[in-house]
Amino acid sequence: MRATVVLVHPSPTSFTHSCAAAAVRGLETAGHEVTTLDLYAMGFQPAMTDAERHAYHGDEPVLDPLVAESVAAVQGAEMLVFVYPTWWSGLPAMLKGWLEKTMLPGVAFVFDKRGKVRPGLQTVRHIVGISSYGSSRAYVKAINDNGRRTLLRALRLNTGWRTKRLWLPMYSVDGSTPERRNAFVAGVEKSMAAL
Amino acid sequence: MKTLVVYCHPSRESFVAAVLDAALEGLREGGHEVRVTDLYADGFDPVFSAGDHAKHLAEDADRTDIARYIDDLRWCESLVLVYPTWWAGQPAMLKGWIDRVWVNDVAWKLPSGKRRLRPLLRSIHRITVVTTHGSSKFINALEGEGGKRTMTRALRVLCSRRCRTQWIAMYTVDTSTELQRAQFLHRVRLRLAA
Repeated sequence: MRATVVLVHPSPTSFTHSCAAAAVRGLETAGHEVTTLDLYAMGFQPAMTDAERHAYHGDEPVLDPLVAESVAAVQGAEMLVFVYPTWWSGLPAMLKGWLEKTMLPGVAFVFDKRGKVRPGLQTVRHIVGISSYGSSRAYVKAINDNGRRTLLRALRLNTGWRTKRLWLPMYSVDGSTPERRNAFVAGVEKSMAAL
Repeated sequence: MKTLVVYCHPSRESFVAAVLDAALEGLREGGHEVRVTDLYADGFDPVFSAGDHAKHLAEDADRTDIARYIDDLRWCESLVLVYPTWWAGQPAMLKGWIDRVWVNDVAWKLPSGKRRLRPLLRSIHRITVVTTHGSSKFINALEGEGGKRTMTRALRVLCSRRCRTQWIAMYTVDTSTELQRAQFLHRVRLRLAA
């Protein structure tokens, strides 16, 4: 299967990068074809510009070459894997902006004859999220996990109804021991190899 | 009340811009002292960079690049956010303002050895969100209203213990009539004047 891994973290030595590397290793072990989009390394510009907002509903909404690259990686992908740290219970601005600019009309959704929104990501079979949290599991549950909801609900509504969801959370990462982190990274590789 | 309005939309001709004007009119009628931040007009950089990450937990980090935003946040007693809801949440530009400005020593502190954040924005007594949704209320409920929770829970806990939250939202704005939009603008003005 074709898998697209979206990696979001400013520092290349981060725990998030270790998780992404493990995910890619796992997917490749299972024989999947992997494309990685490292948004910070690409220098992706997350804020939608005035020109992009005006072109959004037009015939050519893609104005940025990095968006074109992202659209190509998403179209036809059967797995979308997001690896990022959860900040303020949500997606980092970088990833939120990537969603806004890449998941365009004609890519993520289409309008039918009556002007209703219909799913556009028909090839997607799996949506996977791998995220680290500074807070504990109990706190995240109480405060609500907006990033998870955005990806597993809002984005999933734009795929086929059989799309499987997998969430791999690492809670309380700030106070964690190296053993726990290593065990988590090993677990990521194993889960991805099993997909 | 000292009110900070944070506005986020790339285009000044949009409906959200009209919503901002209605909100400002309401605040003026209510006699509030207002500061406005227009993130797009400022050319705010929403990307939490490697440099930001390096000083994430540092004591007395140099934050001169965002000093104005920090000063506004510390000054205000009431916070009003005006933005369109995209993909069930705040636009990247506004999320970036949260990621970069609600930082260590400004919004919270992590005392050494502790695992829980200590809130620092105790002077904020009210958070008001004015937003527009392209999709219906039903779809937003299905998606979990994540953007709402970010404001009313994740950020609220950094403010006053008695901080009140207001959610003023217009759903299915894409297919709305002129009358519905005018009614919404009226509602925004009245609610903010109160």
